[in-house]
Amino acid sequence: MLPMMLVIAILLPLVAAIGCYFLRVSAIRTLIVLATGVCVAAVSLALLGQGSFTYSPGTIVGISWDSLVTLADFALLFVMLYYAFKLKNQLIKVFVILQIIPLALFELFVIDHAVETPAIFADSLSLIMVAVISVIGSLICFFAIPYMKEHEEHLHLVKSKQPQFFFFLVLFLGAMNGLVLSNNILWLYFFFEVTTFCSFMLIGHDQNQIAVKNATRALWMNALGGVAFVFGMIWAYVETGSLDLQVIIHSGPMGGLMLAPLGLLCLAGFTKAAQVPFQSWLLGAMVAPTPVSALLHSSTMVKAGVYIVLRLAPAYAGTFLSQGIALCGAFTFLACAAIAVSQSNGKKILAYSTISNLGLIICCAGLNTKWSITAAIILIIFHAASKALLFLCVGTIEHGIGSRDLEDMHGLYLKMPRTAVITIIGVLTMLLPPFGVLLGKWMAIESASGNMFVITMLALGSAVSLVFWARWAGILLTAPLRDKVPAESQSILTKLTLTVLAGIAVVLSLFSPMIYTRLIEPMVGKTFEITAGVFASPMGVFAVYPIFIILAGAFIYSWIETKKSANAKTSQSYMCGANVKETGVQSFIGPMNTPVAVKASNYYMKEFFGEEKLTLWVNFIALALIVLMLGGAL
Amino acid sequence: MKTIILMILGIVIAPILGGLIAGIDRRVTARLQSRFGPPILQPFYDVAKLFGKDKVVSNFWQVFCSWVYLIAAALSVALLFGQTDLLLVFFVQAIGAVFLVMGGLSTPSPYSQVGAQRELIQVLTYEPLIILVFASIFMVTGSFRIDEILAYKQPLLIQLPLMFVVLGYALTIKLRKSPFDFSTSHHGHQEIVKGVLTEFSGPYLGIIEIAHWYETIFILGICALFWHTSLVGVILLLVSTYFAELIIDNTMARMTWRWMLKYVWSIGLAMSFVNLIWLYAG
Repeated sequence: MLPMMLVIAILLPLVAAIGCYFLRVSAIRTLIVLATGVCVAAVSLALLGQGSFTYSPGTIVGISWDSLVTLADFALLFVMLYYAFKLKNQLIKVFVILQIIPLALFELFVIDHAVETPAIFADSLSLIMVAVISVIGSLICFFAIPYMKEHEEHLHLVKSKQPQFFFFLVLFLGAMNGLVLSNNILWLYFFFEVTTFCSFMLIGHDQNQIAVKNATRALWMNALGGVAFVFGMIWAYVETGSLDLQVIIHSGPMGGLMLAPLGLLCLAGFTKAAQVPFQSWLLGAMVAPTPVSALLHSSTMVKAGVYIVLRLAPAYAGTFLSQGIALCGAFTFLACAAIAVSQSNGKKILAYSTISNLGLIICCAGLNTKWSITAAIILIIFHAASKALLFLCVGTIEHGIGSRDLEDMHGLYLKMPRTAVITIIGVLTMLLPPFGVLLGKWMAIESASGNMFVITMLALGSAVSLVFWARWAGILLTAPLRDKVPAESQSILTKLTLTVLAGIAVVLSLFSPMIYTRLIEPMVGKTFEITAGVFASPMGVFAVYPIFIILAGAFIYSWIETKKSANAKTSQSYMCGANVKETGVQSFIGPMNTPVAVKASNYYMKEFFGEEKLTLWVNFIALALIVLMLGGAL
Repeated sequence: MKTIILMILGIVIAPILGGLIAGIDRRVTARLQSRFGPPILQPFYDVAKLFGKDKVVSNFWQVFCSWVYLIAAALSVALLFGQTDLLLVFFVQAIGAVFLVMGGLSTPSPYSQVGAQRELIQVLTYEPLIILVFASIFMVTGSFRIDEILAYKQPLLIQLPLMFVVLGYALTIKLRKSPFDFSTSHHGHQEIVKGVLTEFSGPYLGIIEIAHWYETIFILGICALFWHTSLVGVILLLVSTYFAELIIDNTMARMTWRWMLKYVWSIGLAMSFVNLIWLYAG
């Protein structure tokens, strides 16, 4: 049973991807994507129910899976090298060759191939990741079906590029599942490279100048991460004599030389998770069609980065490296949240907020207490749901009004009431209790409270992020509004995915106590007593159920009151008594007795938080922190 | 059971106390300005009058947002009285703050829009300081739980004097008093009319007024934690703090949001650091 489930989780997406590529009929493709998504999601939940396991796949027709992976790995690296020459990019060439040569030497002369390493190992962390990837990732693939159709209609393409698009999109899910389930570090490295390559192809999908430019940047930055990974892996093997990730993590007290390879592996995680100063590739990824951004930002790719840092956390616990990681993460959390304030592009705000939240997760891994690791896992789960939802909302809005700029979203409720309300729900789940993201943030802040620098950055970052979220939720409602708004039409798959994701984002919070006791506590160790849905420890309490119930009541009551106000009088906005008296017109009598339309826009506070103003300094400080982290490790 | 009784007590008593404080505030302010001022119960008469007025709205989301603001404010006070977790209480309070801003943004009136944006900047300014105050309380007592903090033997003020001043900044901003009163300008007739509250009227303005009373009690309740060991100490601390607020309110002109953000963040962070380093050194 187990091998079958693993095949479905990792290999089925590959088969389906090939199907999408060769069977070029849109109905068949739709069917393949839907069927694969449902199967993978169902299997991921079944795996979650089954619990931890170790597994070695053995051989297939006489060839060991290990050698197949090695073969595929080199094939992939040479494909990347091909693209490096095609794009004439020196950086990528250097970084890919810096992976090929050490890896070849490593395979040929260093590794003892007689030693059997279990290829697959799953504990709660892996299984939670598989569930996040498979459920949320599949929903995003579903959303992509109608979206890509419209997208290509907008572009007036003669020949559809959807087969290639869905090839990489579906393949991505399998690669991610493989990555989080791998125990053999060579396997982990292979899947790590597959995600790099998939993201490169997906970002460059539209093949216009900017898409190619940003895809190239994504490739060189992630290839740099690949180099760090290869050297970290070889060094770790030299130190411990094992390819087994569990052995590497638990190989006795860590000190001195062992910290350096861990530092390098974490650096690889940093590039993948787009931590400053590597944030620019993920920001560039916005040019890709929205489902790609949603996938990269919520359930795949960047989560691979934080997964690696979190996976290695027990290995560097209590060291200087750990503190360095906490500082780097906290700094990213603050810096990116601050820059997000100055942005008016919806996708860019989401991108910065993603990087910021990943920083928080990495900071939690660095703090390295039971409490903070719990926080990190909770954040991974809930951030994926809310962020996927928000990206898909922006995609829907963009197709609806032709813009992703906040200033064009004033009063969106009048035009797209459904999408507007779902977007607001998404925003609130990122921001307010009792939703999971805030539960994670609460745990993070409480567990960081002993560390003066980290807590200061978390406090500032948390306040800054409130600004851009609340502002966004508010302006969607801006309108003189009294009558019923006409309903909005959405295609079935769009409606389905948005509703399900919104449901997950809201309802999953109700299960957070259960997620904690069933999944996190057995792995991390007990930190909280749970009674009646209340997290309690001697240091803090967070009442999930009571607050959830009271707030649900509050929202229902407020809505009833709102309905009751239907017969209240309508007022025009106050404009110092100079309103133009027509109903429904928002203008005032200006100079020369002419009507002037009212226009308002957000404060972006560019003189404090401007992207141009901050980015250089942020990168500089982040680089210094990374040097500090790695230097301290050496 | 005790927790639930305390919570209900909080919900009932807080608005009464908050209203009385608002009344005393107006009275003392008047005296400071050589006027007599209204009766102490005037805020209650005002709110009663508001509830008697016609309902007038320009966007029905205003109604929704004002109710959520009130309920979140009441809930945060209830959680504070129920001696739960400081950070949790604060995050629940933030729900109210967010919905007030959303209510302000929901109408296209320029005053309301500008006021809402400024309100956000006020939140941006006080939020990190309050989190740092809570973190410092954690460092002294080893817990964020109010029941654990109340069991601590010494007044926190002895170890956290500068953090109390930092909290004072947050209090001034939260009470919307000069020099930080630019989101709703609590004296009328000023540059942005009534800021974020411009478009709320009648019963809905009344609801917001009551929510504000809850918030006053909320923030004074946190101040009270600094001298929790004696009742006299609490009263002394709160009366002197509030009186200091009134003096500041009456002697300061309103400043711009740029000034506030720079000034409060830099001074607040500097004082927090100094106080936290003391703690570490000691």
